[in-house]
Amino acid sequence: MASSRNVDIPQQPEQKRILSVHRLGSGYKPLQVLWDIEFSLEEGEWLALLGTNGAGKSTLLNTIAGLIKPFCGEIVYQESEISALPVHERVRLGIALVPEGRRLFAGMTVRENLMMGAFTQNDDGKIAGQLQRVFDLFPVLKEREKQIVGTLSGGERQMCAIGRALMSQPILLLVDEMSLGLGPVVVDGLLETMTAIKQEGVTLIVVEQDVNTALIYADRGYVLREGKIVKNGDAKQLLEDPAIQKDYLGYWKGVEKNNK
Amino acid sequence: MREKVVGLVVCVAAGIFLACCPFFLNLYWLRNLTNIFMFAILTQAVNIIAGYTGYPAFGNVVFFGLGAYSTGVLMVKFHIPFAITILIGITVCLFFTLFFGIPVLRLKGHYFAIATLGLNEATRAIVDNLSDLTGGGMGLSLPLPTGDVGANNRFFYFMMYGTMMLSITVTYLISKSRFGYGCRSIRSDEEGAESMGIDTTRYKTMAWMISAALTGIAGSIYAYWMSYIEPSAVFDMTIAIKSFVMFLLGGAGTVIGPILGAFFIELISTFAWSYLLNYHIGALGLIIILVVIYMPRGFIYFLQERLSLRMFANSINEKRI
Amino acid sequence: MLFLQVLINGILLGGVYGCAAMGFSVIWGVMNLINLAHGSMIILGAYITYIVNTTTGLDPFLTIPISGLVLFLLGFVVQKYLINLVIGGSVFMTLILTFGLDLVLINTNLFLFTADLRSITPWYSGLGWQIETLRIPFTRLGVFVFSLTLTLILFLFMNRTKLGNAIKATSFDKDAAGLVGVDILKVYAITFGIGAGMAGMTGSLISMIYSFSPVLGDTFTMKSFVIVVLGGLGSIPGAIMGGLILGIAENFASVLLEPGYKDAISFILLVVILVLRPRGILGKQFFAEVKE
Repeated sequence: MASSRNVDIPQQPEQKRILSVHRLGSGYKPLQVLWDIEFSLEEGEWLALLGTNGAGKSTLLNTIAGLIKPFCGEIVYQESEISALPVHERVRLGIALVPEGRRLFAGMTVRENLMMGAFTQNDDGKIAGQLQRVFDLFPVLKEREKQIVGTLSGGERQMCAIGRALMSQPILLLVDEMSLGLGPVVVDGLLETMTAIKQEGVTLIVVEQDVNTALIYADRGYVLREGKIVKNGDAKQLLEDPAIQKDYLGYWKGVEKNNK
Repeated sequence: MREKVVGLVVCVAAGIFLACCPFFLNLYWLRNLTNIFMFAILTQAVNIIAGYTGYPAFGNVVFFGLGAYSTGVLMVKFHIPFAITILIGITVCLFFTLFFGIPVLRLKGHYFAIATLGLNEATRAIVDNLSDLTGGGMGLSLPLPTGDVGANNRFFYFMMYGTMMLSITVTYLISKSRFGYGCRSIRSDEEGAESMGIDTTRYKTMAWMISAALTGIAGSIYAYWMSYIEPSAVFDMTIAIKSFVMFLLGGAGTVIGPILGAFFIELISTFAWSYLLNYHIGALGLIIILVVIYMPRGFIYFLQERLSLRMFANSINEKRI
Repeated sequence: MLFLQVLINGILLGGVYGCAAMGFSVIWGVMNLINLAHGSMIILGAYITYIVNTTTGLDPFLTIPISGLVLFLLGFVVQKYLINLVIGGSVFMTLILTFGLDLVLINTNLFLFTADLRSITPWYSGLGWQIETLRIPFTRLGVFVFSLTLTLILFLFMNRTKLGNAIKATSFDKDAAGLVGVDILKVYAITFGIGAGMAGMTGSLISMIYSFSPVLGDTFTMKSFVIVVLGGLGSIPGAIMGGLILGIAENFASVLLEPGYKDAISFILLVVILVLRPRGILGKQFFAEVKE
């Protein structure tokens, strides 16, 4: 499989580089999970982060968000190096993570969870506006506004988690394993919503196990294996890539035959 | 491997050294060491139920009191020889564990801890109120073994020393046995252990019974040693917390860790008391704070990691109590 | 009538007990920290009231904000610079740390105030309401009312203010709280400060109904422990309920049983309840389950 290290995508004049990651190594001391990660992201792009279980996708998102301190390397966000910043500071800069497992505030209502998302915001008017936009994107959340989140279905909880992240007015939105445990119809709905979010100018990194669906919606994709980037490129191209198709999509064309 | 041998040699040498102490140390130090041995036993007993099995018995001192009062009452009211009272004391502790253990061991973590504290307090109150039998708040005065102060001190020194050695041996045997393996699996993941066919109720109760018996022996010896006991002295919360602190600082789930913890804390306690009389409490507190900050997993793991010494360390998994 | 008197005594005492347990419960529920120095902080609050009252003659009820503030600052600083160093670790390690802290506090109190028993007797000490044979002392009633007021203020703070919500959120999921922008370390310091402040203010209240000395703090820690387990971890209404149950049980025990059983009753009660209903009386977890 041809492996291509990241080559700087030529910048369009109006496009801003939101994030670039250089030689990043990270993990859970003393275990190193990510090795020499290198990539960058332009404003408004949707990046799909792919790979099997244990490849390090969640670790990467958690490191960018600040839940994990990297072992080495740099994370440059809007021209500042942020790897030493604590989690809550990164939120103020506009990085929001929808974590694996959603991690909602269990004993609080939908509305309370969403309002907690706006913790870093001070303008009451803007907060109210953002809340309304979240309800527009996810009408069912408005219906269940006063319910404790524990009583919601999986899909509704995922919506609440995404909504909570949106309340902080993020510039960069990181979404980890959105489709886990959700049926395909729900997932499709969520992905459509993500497209709407992207149209508002939010940059997205979405981690997904479902490679096919992920690449259909994304602009670009990176494939992780055992903590290293092994492939990257335009999402359409990756979909057509026979190696990807064989390893992740479960089908192949051509004369390769499975002799097992 | 070489480290293990070094560790073993050091321990055996220490053991022999301590056995010879009565022949050259003065009474003050003999008494101090006897006291340290006693705490070593208590700490090791806590280690068995909390360190290996994962049930933090804060109130384990109840067995200390039960042992002490068994010996006290039997010797004073019924003139039964000391050795027999130890056996009866053990029996009392075992029955107590069986009776209360089954319901209380159904609780977990901090609930279990507080329930054992409750057992201790309740037992103390009952012993206190049965004053006809136990002397109540007035206490109980026991006879002396002989008229010779030196001989008495040596006797109790060796009693505590022997029991400490017994506790170390028992812990070592547990650590190498299938029983110990079962206990450790309970500590890691009790439901998982159940589903593997381990009768967790039986194992937990047995572990606690062993722990109780050892503590009871220490209590029996204590009563005869001090010649005077009262409920608040032997069902004492401070002893409970102290032995738990020693257990945690020494290194949970290891064979020698609790002993080291007991030595460390009790020696500092004694020094602080003699040299810093007014500040000895605060000094002990400061030392404890420093130890927690710099040796958060306990003394034995500190030695392991920093000095690469392995002394009988059964390193279990990373799971903290 | 005796029954009613004992019941009332129990309720009046229970309110204070509940207030005493509040700070302990919040710290435990939010930070997974069992603060063994809790009782000594209560005693310190009592001493602050004593000092202010004997030097300035200020009514003890009015000293409550002072002890609250002093203890809040003490707690905040201790948490920020000391406890934060070990906060990620196991519950029992932090427990030992606070045990060490407790020893230091006890020694400090002994040093500053000696071991003599102190008490505060304001001019209205002996007075009370007399309704037939029922007697309700003013001091105890005042203490009860203040206890409930403090509890209410804490409850409103936790549920109606932004900071209070941040603290609540942290107790549910500290990583998620960080992800919405909450500064966890600051929350911890504030929470511990609040717990200490509540303890201090309860100490001021207790100084008016009990005599106190530096070594008597542990009893309050233990009782708070019992109350929290009874009422459910992190639950403010639960702490009041647990406190009331304990207060009433203690008072009835001292009348019905030998006086020696008074303190033991709390524990006997505890063991019985735990065995029957291991999640405590209120059962419902307002805050997160204790992490091991």
